[in-house]
Amino acid sequence: MKKLVGIVGTNARHSYNRQLLTFMQRHFQDQAEIEILELTDVPLFNESTDGSDSPVIQNFNQKITAADGVIIATPEHNHSLPSALKSILEWLSFKLHPLDGKPVMIVGASYSVQGSSRAQLHLRQVLDAPGVNASVMPGSEFLLGRAQAAFDEQGNLKVSGTVDFLDSCFAKFLKFVDVIGELNVPDAISYQPGTYAVHATGHNGEIPMSVTLSKDRIENIQIDTSTETAGISDVAFERIPKAIIDGQTLAVDAISGASMTSHGVIDGVATAVKEAGANPDDLKKRRGGTTAAQPEAPVQTLDTDVVIVGAGGAGLTAAAKVLQSGQRALVLEKFPSVGGNTVRAGGPMNAADPDWQNQFAAIPGEKHTLKALAELDPQTIDPEYRADFETLRGQINDYLNQTTGQPGYLFDSKLLHRIQTYLGGKRTDLNGHKIYGQYDLVKELTDHALDSVKWLESIGVQFDQSQVTMPVGAIWRRGHKPMGDLGFAYIKALQPYVESHGGTIMTETAVQRLTTADGRITGLIAEGPAHQRIEVTAKAVILASGGFAANVKMLQKYNTYWTAIDDDIQTTNSPAMTGDGIELGTRVGADLVGMGFSQMMPVSDPDTGELFTGLQVPPQNYVMVNQQGKRFVNEYGSRDELTQAAIDNGSLFYLIADDEIKKTAYNTSQEKIDQQVAAGTLFRANTLADLAKQIKVDPAVLTATIKAYNSYVDAGEDPEFHKNAFDLKVQVAPFYATPRKPATHHTMGGLKIDTGAHVLNAGGQVINGLYAAGEVAGGIHAGNRLGGNSLADIFTFGRIAAASAVADECAVETE
Amino acid sequence: MMKLVGIVGTNATQSTNRQLLQYMQRHFADQAGLEICEIVDLPAFNEPEQHVAPAAVQTLSDAISAADGVIFATPEYDHSIPAALKSAIEWLSYTTRPLINKPVMIVGASNGSLGTSRAQAHLRQILEAPELKALVMPNVEYLLGHSLQAFDANGDLVDADKRHELDQAFNEFVAFVGLTEKLTPTETFFEQSRQFSWSQITNGEDL
Ligand SMILES: Cc1cc2nc3c(=O)[nH]c(=O)nc-3n(C[C@H](O)[C@H](O)[C@H](O)COP(=O)(O)OP(=O)(O)OC[C@H]3O[C@@H](n4cnc5c(N)ncnc54)[C@H](O)[C@@H]3O)c2cc1C
Ligand SMILES: Cc1cc2nc3c(=O)[nH]c(=O)nc-3n(C[C@H](O)[C@H](O)[C@H](O)COP(=O)(O)O)c2cc1C
Repeated sequence: MKKLVGIVGTNARHSYNRQLLTFMQRHFQDQAEIEILELTDVPLFNESTDGSDSPVIQNFNQKITAADGVIIATPEHNHSLPSALKSILEWLSFKLHPLDGKPVMIVGASYSVQGSSRAQLHLRQVLDAPGVNASVMPGSEFLLGRAQAAFDEQGNLKVSGTVDFLDSCFAKFLKFVDVIGELNVPDAISYQPGTYAVHATGHNGEIPMSVTLSKDRIENIQIDTSTETAGISDVAFERIPKAIIDGQTLAVDAISGASMTSHGVIDGVATAVKEAGANPDDLKKRRGGTTAAQPEAPVQTLDTDVVIVGAGGAGLTAAAKVLQSGQRALVLEKFPSVGGNTVRAGGPMNAADPDWQNQFAAIPGEKHTLKALAELDPQTIDPEYRADFETLRGQINDYLNQTTGQPGYLFDSKLLHRIQTYLGGKRTDLNGHKIYGQYDLVKELTDHALDSVKWLESIGVQFDQSQVTMPVGAIWRRGHKPMGDLGFAYIKALQPYVESHGGTIMTETAVQRLTTADGRITGLIAEGPAHQRIEVTAKAVILASGGFAANVKMLQKYNTYWTAIDDDIQTTNSPAMTGDGIELGTRVGADLVGMGFSQMMPVSDPDTGELFTGLQVPPQNYVMVNQQGKRFVNEYGSRDELTQAAIDNGSLFYLIADDEIKKTAYNTSQEKIDQQVAAGTLFRANTLADLAKQIKVDPAVLTATIKAYNSYVDAGEDPEFHKNAFDLKVQVAPFYATPRKPATHHTMGGLKIDTGAHVLNAGGQVINGLYAAGEVAGGIHAGNRLGGNSLADIFTFGRIAAASAVADECAVETE
Repeated sequence: MMKLVGIVGTNATQSTNRQLLQYMQRHFADQAGLEICEIVDLPAFNEPEQHVAPAAVQTLSDAISAADGVIFATPEYDHSIPAALKSAIEWLSYTTRPLINKPVMIVGASNGSLGTSRAQAHLRQILEAPELKALVMPNVEYLLGHSLQAFDANGDLVDADKRHELDQAFNEFVAFVGLTEKLTPTETFFEQSRQFSWSQITNGEDL
């Protein structure tokens, strides 16, 4: 028997269209099984807040996909279809397209005599739109006018002529379903056997892929990920090929959080299929059994000692530490892969380790920096830090006396790290509100960062002892750099450690709510990969879900530092960074601190937020021009100076380079450059005037700007913006312009915690059972985070949170 | 000076229709005061038992009532107007009915080449429904295609022809508003339109 879905086209409590569908369900029960779907819980469509993955929309998607046909019963509101019905159709034409090729019958009931004729006409046009692309049965308009008089008490249609007409429309529809079904059967597919070299899309550009086809099957898909940033999108490269081969279909769903790479693989295989003489569209129609209706998922209940929200650096560290103290740990991660922003990090973490650092020679300028610091007026240092500052001054003066007349060794101390973190974070916002790192937290961080390095070594992270690095924006050389793989190096050690010591990591499981009883946290509720509800009871919850730099609305809502944050601003972060933990915490009364301060990366790709596109050269070779072709800032300035200057100039700006400057770029190859020029994301021309035309600025202005800049390089001085250091002039063709915009990078504000990583409420009291660590917490970095301090923070407070949770909540059991 | 209300026909954060209204607001500043109204904060229409406007709907309705004319800027979603705009209109028709006899101009921007022609045709039909009874300006249609490329960094329309066309359409609207002022229907027309209900017509004539 045929399975049909009937959609009640209104969210009203009382509806004649619902009555009509209910009648049809009963009346035709021997001919078809009609399941009625309601619009009551469907949210109003909004392009900017995608709800395609929500259970309500997914329910429509799955039911419609599994059905043989769809009946839509529409009322008429203001001569057209109701907004509620329009809304579900918009959801089903946005990211999902379950109605594509689906047979649809329209019926309608309304008060007026012509029934819903105008609404039906509009509905037909909507269903015909390319995003919806339903196969609507032509003719046979079933209009039920004067609906309030049409049904008897049993809900049956009173007039037999009306029933007869409905019978004939329905009989025709069942035939129509068969005909359309036949149309949708793909032709038998046959390939020219062979191995085809095509491309997939990686995060850093195109990557090679080879697809092996036999006469009638996709046999093998190989992707060469050697040029990819380790850890970022492996999941798409594993799962999409598997799904394609398992289902012999191209109709596979993109993986959330890795949609670009998912589609890259699908498109690459489509190219191979086409080269092999088959039509990829046929394969896209072939449903690989993945979309069959799933049975209602049962609720899953789990019990553990400590449950951790987020499998980034802080979360996995906390889990490892909980396991080390003999307790059970469960980590829930909303994305398919673990690692969060931590896998994107450049790698080095800050920790003062004088015994190690002292083995390296000082480099020019460092002594000068120390001297300048020691000469600061103590009255400008906030009272909590003043005693430490005085002690540090003594340390610095001893060091300077000891090494007078020599280059000296690299100096460092916990106090220098502390005072630099404090000074680096000191800022004033637009409202004149001053902020700096909370003393006790900064002390905790700087006292224990080195322990974190040692602890990481003990669980298998190897650091490069041969060099002390200074991460960008760090102010001092105290970076411990893991061997290979940048930030992924930490996750590569932590994940297997957690899994092999009895911990559980559940991916694609998003935590939605914390549960409470008697004034304490008792666990949480999450949604699993099959949209099932997961209820966890635990003795403690640790929030380690990262910051909110990928949530523009939230940034705008709290911002008090930048004069403007554009709606379309991009981010360097993983799209997972939406501030979920902050929301989870505030809903149970947590206090927030420093939320108005966020960090931007000024030189990011305007379309993707990535750092490593275009020509990224050392700052001494930056020549930044605005959309009028004029320089507007000292290119050697700090991140926030460059960012604010860019914002003041309309955000979009260009890095101008010539052929010599190009050679100093550390991120690219000639092949990538040519690709980007062809794609229109990087501009190249043989004269500055032509380059100016390409970026739509006045050629005379750009030429004059560059002429002036070159003269400053010659003179070694920039009277306009006082750029601190120069290297090359802009003079050798071809010339380049790399479009740039600030992108959101880090959020310093977050949940208020104490030195034991307990989450505090507005009254400053501990919320029992709740802990937070990492970027989700605030108070440490204040107005500006130093490069390399975040990793130090997440590993230190990740361990502290675990230790507190175990000591506070699990102590009884261990005794 | 003439007082107009411009309604942004979408709840999306990024909208070239909003940009278009902002351009019109600046560009025609010496001819008319254009207040831009958003629909993003309106709840979804759900046909409640009481015909009472929620606060956000009342605010929009008051702005419309106080204006000499209304400009709708609509995107096109699936060959019609967005559900969010439809929902806003349903609220107005279901509660306060401020559009009765109000001069209306329709404009629309979209990324494709057709520029909302189908959505505008639907909107016209909707606004002429008996419980709305707006006076939609006839014969004038302003379609802005390829709207993502249509504005420069200052938010001005790049294309001179398109600028000119908009100037003309707007001038006609100003004249139309002036014309409709002279055309004052009787109080009974307003009363009947305000009282109109689809359930009452079952025995009477069909509309
Ligand atoms: C491009 C880039 C470069 C950087 N470079 C450096 C550097 O060189 N040095 C440095 O110190 N810092 C650097 N940082 C900052 C640093 O990487 C981050 O601040 C740090 O990794 C945050 O760690 P975390 O453990 O708090 O969160 P993350 O590692 O981001 O992990 C949070 C995890 O929680 C998950 N999650 C979120 N919401 C939920 C939910 N509701 N349910 C379940 N799971 C959820 C996320 O998916 C994610 O996996 C950089 C950041 C970026 C973006
Ligand atoms: C906002 C609104 C607008 C309406 N517009 C029309 C219309 O244009 N034409 C019509 O025949 N009925 C119109 N109606 C009346 C409907 O026909 C009537 O509410 C009918 O019961 C709708 O079917 P339902 O019971 O399934 O909701 C409208 C009703 C509402 C609430």
